[in-house]
Order: sequence, then C-alpha cells, then structure tokens
Amino acid sequence: MNYEPKGGIHMNHMTLAPGGIVIVRPAGELDHHTADSIKREVSRLIFGGKATGIIWDLGNLQFMDSAGIGLILGRMRDLGAVDGGTVILNPSPTMRKMFELSGLGSHLAEGTEEDAMKRLGGILHGK
Amino acid sequence: MENEMTLSFAAISENEALARMTLTFFVAPLDPTLEEISEYKTVISEAVTNAIIHGYEEQRTGIVRVHAILDGREVTVTISDEGGGIDNVEEAMQPMYTSKPERERSGMGFTIMESFTDNLTVDSRRGSGTTVTFKKKFSPVQEACSSVG
Ligand SMILES: Nc1ncnc2c1ncn2[C@@H]1O[C@H](COP(=O)(O)OP(=O)(O)OP(=O)(O)O)[C@@H](O)[C@H]1O
Ligand SMILES: [Mg+2]
Repeated sequence: MNYEPKGGIHMNHMTLAPGGIVIVRPAGELDHHTADSIKREVSRLIFGGKATGIIWDLGNLQFMDSAGIGLILGRMRDLGAVDGGTVILNPSPTMRKMFELSGLGSHLAEGTEEDAMKRLGGILHGK
Repeated sequence: MENEMTLSFAAISENEALARMTLTFFVAPLDPTLEEISEYKTVISEAVTNAIIHGYEEQRTGIVRVHAILDGREVTVTISDEGGGIDNVEEAMQPMYTSKPERERSGMGFTIMESFTDNLTVDSRRGSGTTVTFKKKFSPVQEACSSVG
C-alpha cells in the first residue's frame, strides 16, 4: 500500500491520509487555552465519518500539559477506538513520562509517520 | 542565588502561558536542563489551570496568585486561589480522579505534579480556596560538553 500524505486534505496542522487516518501535528504550546481549537478540527473529521485512526505527531510541539492527555483520550472516545486506533510519535522526554503515567504508553511509537500508518492500517484491518 | 517574586493575574486561560513564562524566567539564572525546565513548566501549568477551571469555574473575576522563592538551586512555588476549594484532597489527588470528566479533563494533573516535583503540598477547604506549594531542585550546572541523554 502506498501512503502518500501529500494526497490528503490539508488543514491547519492536520492531514487526512488515505484509509481514513488523520495525522495531527500540533505546534507551539498545547494547554487548556489552545486545546479547544485542535479538538474542534479533529472532531469535525471524526464525526464527518472520515477518520478511522489518528496519528499524533508531536515533533513540533514545544509544550504540553494534561490538556494534551485529555485531548488525545477524548478523541479516542470519539473514534470509539478499540486500543490501537491511536499512535503517538515524537514526544519530548517530559511528554513521554506524562503519557506513561496516564496509561497511554502503549500508544507511543518510534519511527516515521509512514511507519505509524502501516501500524494503524494493520491494526484496523485486523492483521 | 536568592530571589523572590509575586505575580497576581485574572483567572483567564491566556494567563496560563504568562505564568509559565514568568516563572521560567525567574529560574533561568540557574541554567536548568531542558527537561528540568519543561517539567517545571508543566507543574505550573497544571496548578494554574486547576485554579482557573476548578477553583474559579472559569469566572474571569477570580485572581490567581503566584509566589516563588529561589534558594540556592531550589525553587519553592506557591500557587493559590480563593475559589471553591476541594472537599476531599486525598481523593482529588488520586490518579484519574476528576470532577469534570465532561470537560476533557483526564484527572492526571496532581499525579503529574507529584511526579515532576521534589515535594508537593495541597492545602484546601471547601469554600475558602486552594493553595498548592511545590519545591523543585535543579541539578548542578554541567561542564562544557552537553549532558542531554
Ligand atoms: N484549585 C482547585 N480548586 C478546586 N478544586 C480543585 C483545584 N485543583 C484541583 N481540584 C479538584 O481536584 C481534581 C483533580 O485535579 P487534577 O488536576 O488531578 O485533575 P483534573 O484537573 O480534573 O484533570 P487534568 O488535570 O488531568 O486535566 C479536580 O477535578 C478538581 O475536582
Ligand atoms: Mg488539573
């Protein structure tokens, strides 16, 4: 399967890739003040019925507090996601600790967005 | 190095970044590692957000007060509100406990604060506000070649 992010629909910091996988790349600081706008955008895709999985690529995120945990957990609920509909990439060491404390450690992955898409595709198709 | 500061601001979410920035600037002379700074910022953000969301229920007229003391390589930060307070502090500090699950809160704030500080105390009573005090020690400054692991 050839995943080509450039073929997706580009929004702010969001891509809808083939197969219904949303790639979210939040930038700057993610706190109670900034979480809402990202939530609205991702939710729009999920409730449009287009999304089956989400990749959170945090490589450009300078700061995150528990609002980020709530944001990711909330979208997992929106997806009605069985474990595995969510992959988290490139957290800072501090963010990694927070995810592990919150029980999201199993969603952390190494590698590129393409690797994460393959992993999600496999999970979503029961492979 | 010894220093002291006080900051008061309205309970609006824009000011979460203000508090993080100001308190980061306050400890900058200690030359903390990137990871120490980001943990420290996270703790401040958790406590200030709690004061705004839970203490004042997002009523912008509330005032959040921050006080910090620098003593050697240790900073002591107090963040207080005069909002609704907490009935049962022990229960509130349990991982995953939140009184606002509908607002996308995960109930991890206190757990994160405990994990990123050397000491955390919470003083609160229903009706008379909440005071969170934490201490964080910064490691001795490293020599020339970087220590980032
Ligand atoms: N300043 C405060 N005033 C009143 N209640 C508070 C205050 N701080 C915390 N609480 C209470 O303690 C609970 C737990 O706080 P904690 O920060 O751990 O989780 P949360 O804020 O609900 O979720 P999260 O921090 O993960 O977004 C809150 O849900 C709230 O009921
Ligand atoms: Mg909180």
